[in-house]
Amino acid sequence: MTSKDSDNGVGRVLGTEHTSTREFRVVLDDAEYLQLDDLVVVRTQVPQQGEVRTYGIVTEVAAVYEGANFESDTHRIAVDGTLPGAKVRSAEIAITRVDPELWVSPDPGEQVERARNGEREKALYVDEMGRPLPIGLGRDGDPVFVDLDFFDGRKGGHMSISGISGVATKTSFALFFLRLLTARPDVLGEGAANLRILVFNVKGEDLLWLDKHNRYFDSVAAEGWAALGVEPEPFPSVSFWAPPRPQSGDVVVPDTGGRQEGVAAFTWSPREFVDDGLLRFLFTDATDSRNQIPFIEERVRSQLQRYAVDVAGRPGAIVLRDPIEGHGPGASVVPNPGERVITDLRTLVEGIEEFVDPEDGEPDQRWTGRVQAGTVSAFARRLHSAAHRLGHLVQAGETRRIDRRAAQVTVVAIQSLHDLGQRFVVGALLAETFAEKEQTGQRLPLSVIVLDELNKYAPREGNSPLKEMLIDIAQRGRSLGVLLVGAQQTASRVASEVMENAAIRVAGRLDAAEAERSEYGWMLPSTRARARLLKPGTMVVSQPALPVPLVVEFPFPPWATRKEEVDTTSSDPFEGL
Amino acid sequence: MTVTIAAMGQLFVEGWAPEYGSPFETDDALADPEKVDETVEVDGPWAPLPGVDDGVGVVAFVDGVRRIDARVTLDDPQGPTFGICGSYGVGAVVWDRAGGRSDYRDLRVERLAVFGNGQGAPIPDSSGIIYRSESVPDSDPGALIKRFHGAMRKAEAALSEGLAQSGLFVVADGPINDLSATEKVGYIKSHRAPYLSPQQAPVIGRVRAGQRTPLFVIGRGGQYERYSWYQRLADLPGGHSWTGVVRCEVSSALPTATAVSIANRTAALLPLVGSAPHIDPRAPQNLVPIAALERELRRMLGDPAFVYRALRSAVAGAGVEA
Repeated sequence: MTSKDSDNGVGRVLGTEHTSTREFRVVLDDAEYLQLDDLVVVRTQVPQQGEVRTYGIVTEVAAVYEGANFESDTHRIAVDGTLPGAKVRSAEIAITRVDPELWVSPDPGEQVERARNGEREKALYVDEMGRPLPIGLGRDGDPVFVDLDFFDGRKGGHMSISGISGVATKTSFALFFLRLLTARPDVLGEGAANLRILVFNVKGEDLLWLDKHNRYFDSVAAEGWAALGVEPEPFPSVSFWAPPRPQSGDVVVPDTGGRQEGVAAFTWSPREFVDDGLLRFLFTDATDSRNQIPFIEERVRSQLQRYAVDVAGRPGAIVLRDPIEGHGPGASVVPNPGERVITDLRTLVEGIEEFVDPEDGEPDQRWTGRVQAGTVSAFARRLHSAAHRLGHLVQAGETRRIDRRAAQVTVVAIQSLHDLGQRFVVGALLAETFAEKEQTGQRLPLSVIVLDELNKYAPREGNSPLKEMLIDIAQRGRSLGVLLVGAQQTASRVASEVMENAAIRVAGRLDAAEAERSEYGWMLPSTRARARLLKPGTMVVSQPALPVPLVVEFPFPPWATRKEEVDTTSSDPFEGL
Repeated sequence: MTVTIAAMGQLFVEGWAPEYGSPFETDDALADPEKVDETVEVDGPWAPLPGVDDGVGVVAFVDGVRRIDARVTLDDPQGPTFGICGSYGVGAVVWDRAGGRSDYRDLRVERLAVFGNGQGAPIPDSSGIIYRSESVPDSDPGALIKRFHGAMRKAEAALSEGLAQSGLFVVADGPINDLSATEKVGYIKSHRAPYLSPQQAPVIGRVRAGQRTPLFVIGRGGQYERYSWYQRLADLPGGHSWTGVVRCEVSSALPTATAVSIANRTAALLPLVGSAPHIDPRAPQNLVPIAALERELRRMLGDPAFVYRALRSAVAGAGVEA
């Protein structure tokens, strides 16, 4: 059973079943093997057309005793030896490509070869990719590529990563991808200049060490990175931002546990809050949209922009004055005695309350419109609750806005904030990023946003300004160079518009029930079955350039993901002092 | 009119599937009590003898299968001549007891066309299917099939003899044809003739699995003189006294002592390869290696419809009508 025409031969196309343009099976030579994800090629002579090469990927392997009709025949063949029989091993192949593109099925009995080098690249369409970026390693240890044209907006945009928390390594994969993106300007091309990446740290403090060496980085991982053609270094250019500690008084200290050095505290001043219309991001609960609150919020937001006047000598602080008084834009005034000076969210809320829900007298209908008194109360209640939960994010003083130009990667640590605060910060930063790009109308420079727990920000059910913003980014961001790398435990809980617009889809280990959902229709049945068993560090990647999803592994990162992993020997111990 | 049959004994339903016929079809015409010698091993009253596994290392099982592929007619001014086209396959399964595995050996397929009336015509070959043509003087269809069957039996005998001469212990399906003094056992599943005298016959019912009757000689003084014995392959629950009993034979050219040791070995060995009733309708007589061999040979004969079509298209226009 070993009649090989070439060194790469592993078997023959099975002749007892029909081959098709989608799949076929290989009967393996005795001395060869195929494992899942191996790539193969078959040459078929097509009448009038000549040789056609069929490329495919192994989706399942099998072995059986030929000659055994009954289960007990296994003993007769394997132990007693009274029944003649032979082990036959075969592999199922899903066809990835036919070259030249003549959609015929491979001939039975043809030699099946392992696809190596140039043939491997053809099987993976690397030769047709405009800009192939490695996205991990195949089981053979060679890199697997993704066409960047389908990420950076030229032909498609965005990436969606799904998987169970903890074992699916969604964030690790996202960072791995970003590292490759930033380390290979030769592939990224013109988009590499001024590429900006915004990453939200939503759990633990995993992302606060991206600039530090990992002490557990070993030679095996180094080989992986070498195969990818990337120097295993931490992210070279990162800025870290965290909200200030609540009640920290006049000294603004970043609210992080493990790391203080190199982390800047961020706040918005009341002036910035008003100018950017951040009020809307205080009402991001999906239930808020069911009543009239968005209506009154919109009205209050625009009135704030008309009424806010800077306070002389108090940067960022404002007073609310009727525009009839005639102060022009950019004017600053000295507050009248007893006039409320707005220096934080609490005073802002009190200021708004004076118009919409005064203690004595009727609400100012220029601020509230004709909404029910109950709606106004609900609005005020939410404002108070927001002031309580994220009041420390708004403070007058010199600007402490997050500066996304400070470094290539901007990490915003929001894990210490209440849900409401997290949504506020995400909304504010997404709006800022998107607004900038909308103004220029240019795709370049590229702006990448990494957001975990996407189901929290763009849930399938309900409406919120944050969800609308994310859908907007998903639909229009591609042409504006705003690219979303979204991660979620369950794709079925995320707004479908966001999922559908992701050109590159990735999944780590999936919950068994989740894997059966239509959101994962891009997987082959065999891949779905495997997705329940994927180990950390193994992902399934689907991209438009390839008709089948690929399973890739990514190497251990050279940057630390916990404080304990930080390699203190290679960096200056006095750094940051 | 009602016929009352006197109850002579207990009634049993045969274990074999009905299409195979009964393993116990006696044909008195075949038996010639004058020529059976029951005293060759034990002179006196018989009792079951135990088999002895002498540890023989390799056993070859030989068998053949045949199939009539088509009936053909040779049109001639003197009138039509009928013929048959058939395929047969012979081969062996070699059981390496020490290695614990079995392999096919010397599998071969032959195709033969037999015409009656001493006439004949070559069959044009097609798709690599080639028939050899032969002729018999008779025009009786039975004679055509007999010639065809005989060709297969000859091929089986030649293979058995070859394997035995190469030093293997051979168990061949059916009576032995070649009576040279080699270690080959003919293995007969169906009992078409009662060979034993009424005095000795009841001992067959007392033979248990792994045991045998004493040797007896069939055809004493004739052209086909053989040693023979009965043995039981398995004690099946609910069986009658002959259930699981087979008859074996070896050439009388062997010394009696050799025949005895072969009989002992065979009585111990064959129960190891007997088939199970839930798997094989001819269990336990249809031995596992032989069943596999027949299956493989049938497979090698080719798809009957494919062979038939190839034959039709090959003879089309050649003056032979299939």
